[in-house]
Amino acid sequence: MKKLNVVGHDAVRIDLKEKITGTAKYTDDLAFGPNLLHMSVLSSPHAHAEILGIDTSEAEKIPGVRAVATGKDFPQKMGLYLKDKSILPVDRVRYIGEQVAAVIATSKKIADQACKKIKVEYKVLPSIHDQMEAVREDAFLIHPDLGSYEIVPWLNPKPGTNISHIRKIRKGDIEKGFEEADLVLEEEFVVPHVVHAALEPHITVALYDYNDRYTFWNSTQSPHTQRHILADALDIPHQNVRVIASSVGGGFGGKAGISMEALGVACRKVPGYPVKLKWSREEEFYNTSQRQALRARLKMGVTKDGKITAMRHVLYWDVGGSAEYGNNVVNATGFSATGPYYIPNVSIDSMGIYTNNPPCAAYRGFGYSEFHFGLESLLDRLAKQIGMDPVELRRVNAIKAGDPVAYGVPMNPSGMRECIDRVAEAIEWGREETSEDPDKVIAKGFAGAWKAPAMPANAGSSVFIKFSEDASINVELSGMEIGQGLHTTMAKIAAEELGLPLSKVRVELPDTDRSPYEWQTVASHETWELGNTVILAAREARERIFDVVHRARFLDKEFLYLEDEKVKSQLDPTFELPLKDFVITGIETEHHTWVGGPITGSASYIPEFTNAMVDPETGQGGHPNVHYTVGAGAVKIELDKKTGVVRVLQMAEAFDAGKAINPDLARDQIVGGFVQGLGTALYEEVHFDKDGKILNPNFTDYKIPTTLDVPYKMDPILVEVPQPDGPYGARGISEHTMIPVMPAVANAVANAVGLRIRDIPLTAEKIALRLNSQDFKPED
Amino acid sequence: MKADRKKEITFTLNGNEVSVLVSPDEKLLDVLRDTLGMTSPKYGCGKGECGACTVLMNGKTVRSCIMLAVQADQCEIVTLEGFQKNGITDIQETFLKHNAFQCGFCAPGFILSTDELLRENPEPDEEEIRDALAGNLCRCTGYKNIIEAVEEMVENRKKGAKR
Amino acid sequence: MTNFDYLKPVSLKEACVLRAEHAGVSQLLLGGTDLIVEMDQGLLSPDFLIDLREIGDLRGIRVEKDDIVIGAAVTFTELIKSKTITDQCQALIEASKLVASVGVRNVATLAGNICHAVPSAEGAAPLLVRDAELTAVSTKGERRISIHDFFTGPRKTALKAEEIVTAIHIPRNSLKSGENYQKLGRYRGEDLAQVGVAVAVDEKYRYKIAYAAVGPVPLRITKAEEILQGGPPGEKSLPAAVEAVKKAVSPITDIRASKEYRLYMCGIMLEKAVNTAVQRMKGNKAGGQA
Repeated sequence: MKKLNVVGHDAVRIDLKEKITGTAKYTDDLAFGPNLLHMSVLSSPHAHAEILGIDTSEAEKIPGVRAVATGKDFPQKMGLYLKDKSILPVDRVRYIGEQVAAVIATSKKIADQACKKIKVEYKVLPSIHDQMEAVREDAFLIHPDLGSYEIVPWLNPKPGTNISHIRKIRKGDIEKGFEEADLVLEEEFVVPHVVHAALEPHITVALYDYNDRYTFWNSTQSPHTQRHILADALDIPHQNVRVIASSVGGGFGGKAGISMEALGVACRKVPGYPVKLKWSREEEFYNTSQRQALRARLKMGVTKDGKITAMRHVLYWDVGGSAEYGNNVVNATGFSATGPYYIPNVSIDSMGIYTNNPPCAAYRGFGYSEFHFGLESLLDRLAKQIGMDPVELRRVNAIKAGDPVAYGVPMNPSGMRECIDRVAEAIEWGREETSEDPDKVIAKGFAGAWKAPAMPANAGSSVFIKFSEDASINVELSGMEIGQGLHTTMAKIAAEELGLPLSKVRVELPDTDRSPYEWQTVASHETWELGNTVILAAREARERIFDVVHRARFLDKEFLYLEDEKVKSQLDPTFELPLKDFVITGIETEHHTWVGGPITGSASYIPEFTNAMVDPETGQGGHPNVHYTVGAGAVKIELDKKTGVVRVLQMAEAFDAGKAINPDLARDQIVGGFVQGLGTALYEEVHFDKDGKILNPNFTDYKIPTTLDVPYKMDPILVEVPQPDGPYGARGISEHTMIPVMPAVANAVANAVGLRIRDIPLTAEKIALRLNSQDFKPED
Repeated sequence: MKADRKKEITFTLNGNEVSVLVSPDEKLLDVLRDTLGMTSPKYGCGKGECGACTVLMNGKTVRSCIMLAVQADQCEIVTLEGFQKNGITDIQETFLKHNAFQCGFCAPGFILSTDELLRENPEPDEEEIRDALAGNLCRCTGYKNIIEAVEEMVENRKKGAKR
Repeated sequence: MTNFDYLKPVSLKEACVLRAEHAGVSQLLLGGTDLIVEMDQGLLSPDFLIDLREIGDLRGIRVEKDDIVIGAAVTFTELIKSKTITDQCQALIEASKLVASVGVRNVATLAGNICHAVPSAEGAAPLLVRDAELTAVSTKGERRISIHDFFTGPRKTALKAEEIVTAIHIPRNSLKSGENYQKLGRYRGEDLAQVGVAVAVDEKYRYKIAYAAVGPVPLRITKAEEILQGGPPGEKSLPAAVEAVKKAVSPITDIRASKEYRLYMCGIMLEKAVNTAVQRMKGNKAGGQA
């Protein structure tokens, strides 16, 4: 194995200096000059209503108002996987906060005032806020035209119902599997809606010029996909939509796909003027996307030796008013709701169900955090009832390379056992601790986790590399740096391949006009896929370098290599040609002619072995996922029996990154994901009233962790069982690190005081009241 | 209802005296960003609950999104731009070394809050560090590297390193 | 936020004149951390904002013969840094440290907190257990208002529309005393109190117990005080005091906490606050939050 000089070594991330000096420009920091106009959006006060008419005449009269737009102007439907979302609705609104009209004015204040003058006549319809109601046969239809929406071929909606998609797995013989079990448990688990709460709210600046072109400046994870969705929806050439990416102040999936940025198209009404729409924190809650709520019914059987024989997992997903993106959460979890365990007999039904709650799309973990809550909670219950240590139960069932997963494909190489063992060791599993305070109990909880990138079978990446005179390179790509360290990862890979120091590599934010195509920065697939693409592009550049040297100096290409910014030869240790001598100008021959020229390299990549067209009744017959990343997590908590307060004293999480390109940043993803998970475990929840109005669209009442809330001891552990087709063996981990947290904490609470909570979040109130109620019986 | 009556306010911004005409209802954050071009304080929540808008007013951190610009009259305001005008500070260098931030949106607020902490309490323990920075929210990092960086800053300053 | 006129008087006299002139349509500005937010939300729409920060009379903490006097412009940060308050007003210090965050405490004032008069006002319970008084001035003169008469309803006080609070007076303790403030939040970070309790006890075991956030106004629970009076909390007296508290308060259910949990926690927090206050009165170091 060749020694690596850059990959696998810690380094200061390449984008950090600009961030700590305030140099990094987020979209709201960009200056657009005195012609900048401002947009305000009138939103629906009703969760479900027909729009009978919109009168904008009063608004248009207000001095300073330059344009008003409604669904009449932009009636197109759009969406990533299915077109069920409106740019501006024509006939119906489906959640409180949905955009109804947009005003463009010379100031935000005037735009706000004008919105108040728009009169909308609604016919209120019955609204549904619980997916269990929406899934009933007699439920009022939220998308009566579901059958006519354009949709990707690998999704299965049920027109005539509120089911936006159903993914089924039927593997083995489920009845026989339960019969073989010595213990069968069946329980139900509930996870509410949560929000991303990135510090930077969504924003777009849009300009329509007299050259028929839209230019957007967005805070986005998906510049090319945004361009595609808009060009496709508006039926205009792709070259007439340009998305320029600014620094992103946090994404977590919330800035994937497209949401409020689509409203930017209203700038067509004021050609030549850039128009800014930035969400307030309140609008951020209402009208971007949320994480699906889940009600899961889980039945599992185990033998007395702890082998899982069968699983029946039914997932009822509340996808909200639009499933254009969220349908893939339903899909991905349908394939994977076994967790990282080998289970011979599996029956899964994963259903997306429309409701009149805000649309739910991509959120870190993509449905996996939600179903692991029930899965890992039930595994602990099963373990306890058969008298087995819960960690041992995970070991016994841990999936291994070659084991068929729920859809029949063999599991990739991975270190599930190692992850389990290292977490157990770090948390000192088995060592009981008592608190000095008689009111407090110290306990530990454990959970396994896995996830595969959830993406279409043909999600693609491309990269373009160019040299500069001093042998530094620009790596042009459209993978987005959203804080996860992607640009540093890609820079390290390019540096490694080309024998350059990290400091000689520049990776910048993309512009869809200048940067090569990237599907989206989501799914934890970028290190793997974009990383592979960077290697290919770098190798092409390297090939060209060797070709030039060969043609100018007649050296054998096969023995050339790059090191320390020079071309060297294995055959002649004295040969050293600095790259900066020729990567732009070429090499001068003995005849004083030149060969070579500016060195570039490019490549593109899609996985060519994935197939999403499985049998809709069984889920078998395809290869929908590229590979899985596995891991585990554990917490040590201190629970106050009187107040119900849970303090996480320590956490340990291990994930199999295959090869950590940035070990330090990968560990940082474990810490950051853990803390985001901790918030969802203990107190995060979107509260709705019975009519679907959000009661806590602010940080006053939607609490996210502060410095005071994070554990004092956090142990991020990297396991490295190489991914055979990954760059240096790497695979992604950034979403995964949230996944074990909810169940690890729930299991710790159960271990502490025998209180089993099956409805997230595990608030102090729930714990205190349930633990101290007359009816409390410790779980068996 | 009285009409919009603008006020002229004069204050020191990053060491320079500035005078601007503002409407009484304009927030300090918006005047700093949109009128005076200081983009380091950010809008995160508009209610003073996330700390992204933090600036120094007469040496103390304030939440500029819930301050009126008129409240800055005759004051000394420092944003990150001015904080580093004599060169990147030890606070920033130590955060850099620890890879303390990810998306970076919260960084200006954290840097100024850290500056105030270390001036007020040069040897804070971990609990005091956490408490002083609890008003700055970060969604990305989980705070581990931030806290460790501040602990290193405390040690370095004790040893007499540059400020 | 609606349009308003911004006025900045340079003397207390001028401030009183302006306040009288615009009685009922003006708001007073010092820190503004509650005021500005509520104006943004449309909960308050004054025509005039009277900024009091130029008025020197409102600044400073001083010790007089019988009282500690806290100027209306004193911020929570100033309270926290004050040795006088730290030594002599333990519950107030503990409550101050729990207000919001440093950036808010640097400008928010105790007077503003009290005058805002939300049921969960952080400064209320600590002042109630010290029988504090406020000085309110107007063009008509000056008067003292007892903290016990001050809160008249959610966000309502006994202040007249033309009055300005200039100072808060806390009678000094003549006997050895101990205090504790307990706050119920949803987590350790910044939060509004879902229950707040302050307990003060002197060496004669005279107890003062006040709750906030569990009724329309912050209040003293005299029945519980009577039960505990005269000795350290006992096996019978403490539960009986808890029962008295639960009967006296009227918490609501909202998205922050249910009525049941608040009532339940009233009891838990009383036990902790009483025990801590007694320990401190005896001179023992005793811990902070539950």
